[in-house]
Amino acid sequence: MVYTKKSPALFIIGLIMLAIWYMADSGMMAGYIEHLANGKKYKYGSELTSIPMYFGIVAAAIGAWQWFGSHKEGHWDYYSSTIAGGMFILLIAMLVRWFVAPEIEVVSTAMGEVGQTGSHIHKLLGLNYVVIGIVTGMVIVNVFSIPEWAQNGVRLSRLGLKTGVILLGTLYSAAELKNLGGLSIVMIGFFVLGSVGMVLWIGGKRKIPNSMGGVLSAGMGVCGVSATVAAAPVVQAKSVEIAYTIGTILIWGVGCMFVFPIIGQLLGMSYVQFGAWAGTGILNSAQVAGAALAFQPDGIETLKVAEIFNITRVLVLPIIVLWLAVWYVKREESATQVNVGQVIFAKFPVFVLGFILMFALSSTGIFAPAEHYKGKYFGNTAESGFKDDKLLKDADVATLRSEFGKIERTDRKDALQRLVENRKIMSPDDDDVLRGLVNSKALSKDANKILKGAHKAVRHTAKKIKAFRNWITWLFAFGLVGLGMQITIGSMKQAGGQPAVIGGIVGFVKAALSLVVVMMLISEKI
Amino acid sequence: MSENKFDRGSALSIFGSDRKEDFMALVFALVIAFAVFLTY
Repeated sequence: MVYTKKSPALFIIGLIMLAIWYMADSGMMAGYIEHLANGKKYKYGSELTSIPMYFGIVAAAIGAWQWFGSHKEGHWDYYSSTIAGGMFILLIAMLVRWFVAPEIEVVSTAMGEVGQTGSHIHKLLGLNYVVIGIVTGMVIVNVFSIPEWAQNGVRLSRLGLKTGVILLGTLYSAAELKNLGGLSIVMIGFFVLGSVGMVLWIGGKRKIPNSMGGVLSAGMGVCGVSATVAAAPVVQAKSVEIAYTIGTILIWGVGCMFVFPIIGQLLGMSYVQFGAWAGTGILNSAQVAGAALAFQPDGIETLKVAEIFNITRVLVLPIIVLWLAVWYVKREESATQVNVGQVIFAKFPVFVLGFILMFALSSTGIFAPAEHYKGKYFGNTAESGFKDDKLLKDADVATLRSEFGKIERTDRKDALQRLVENRKIMSPDDDDVLRGLVNSKALSKDANKILKGAHKAVRHTAKKIKAFRNWITWLFAFGLVGLGMQITIGSMKQAGGQPAVIGGIVGFVKAALSLVVVMMLISEKI
Repeated sequence: MSENKFDRGSALSIFGSDRKEDFMALVFALVIAFAVFLTY
């Protein structure tokens, strides 16, 4: 089978990318960009004048060869044929991130704040480039269907997500893992084991086959598709049961991905709280990332917390597989004994080990000085990178002074007092306390903006870490648009029947209980 | 997308197995990490 299509599509995609770059670089788009910036600084200026040029050249060159060249069956044909679909996803991600999402923000801002929420509708509904990208993918596949020349490349999206998760390992520090790791192990341990037990119990009551209950419990309890695939041979699940489980996880996960950020915004959750909740309550790695990025599209703090919980959950997989093996063998006398160790070795997701490897590499200090916290370091002197023009202005000081009455905690009052007196943040501890104050949303938007500015002035990011963040953002954007293109109405219908009912009950209980636990136990400090 | 459209990989991946995809993701991540390490 020859996969490369003799189509002008990839060449045209390349030309569109080059046109975007040219219009941005030559200033032809200046007016439109000013409109999208909506009175603020347009965030994607440097991306717009570089990324489409590089990818445009590659796409146009390979596109011309695919259009006019001759193609023969083989490895080269198979893998190079994925480029058209990959570039198609990338172009959509570019258009959504740079133009569509900012345009929606402009319209939503013009509509004013929603009731007493203090937020605009795009924030409440989480309408950012992540969500819009996934929805665009879903619309394309369900309304228009994926063009034939792009179909092979759409299957690259999961590779992009996995690569992004591995690279995320570069952003964690030992200190963070120590702080979040303990909490995540307790929470994940409780909720994973709880959900597996609950699915098995309800499954028994509703008399579904043991193999169905076993595979569904792994999917609902651990990490969605990987866990389903890992548990399937242990409980001898049939392919239709695996499909039902994956369908249930998908429909539940997609619902959560859209609903969680809205609830998070309505409850005014902090980044850590939301990250912990999403990482515990949502089932699939991709959807955890989608919800975290939807909740906080302009930063990575929520994603980092959510992924710690997500990764912790994946690490519980061997225990669940062992449990299911023992459970199944006990119930099915006819069941053939399977070598549990072999199943774990064969099915354990290697990308999780990649994440740990990247974390280990990062911990040696090769990407950022080891003594720096996560490639970020505190510095409020000229020698450490602080610029005097970042000192608070008289008007900023007056705004902050006028809001002292809104603060209840003494440590926050003291930290703010020191900031006002010195016009810059004086210590890493003060910085943490003031971050918490911002996340608590106790002050006005103007005051929070000033505090965020003061934080940025003393926090410097290592260049390598900044580069990793950009890579991760784009890999996730790519992967999630592609993920949307794989969510067909047919796959969602697969969740029908008993697995959907059981999955819905367990998923809801897990999401609700984990929300209560997160709100009770986790402070807002990051 | 239906499974039978591709005689290689699956409907969700161009690779024949999850393990292969995981290893490729690891290779890409290491290449990116090396490039970042050298460039910045």
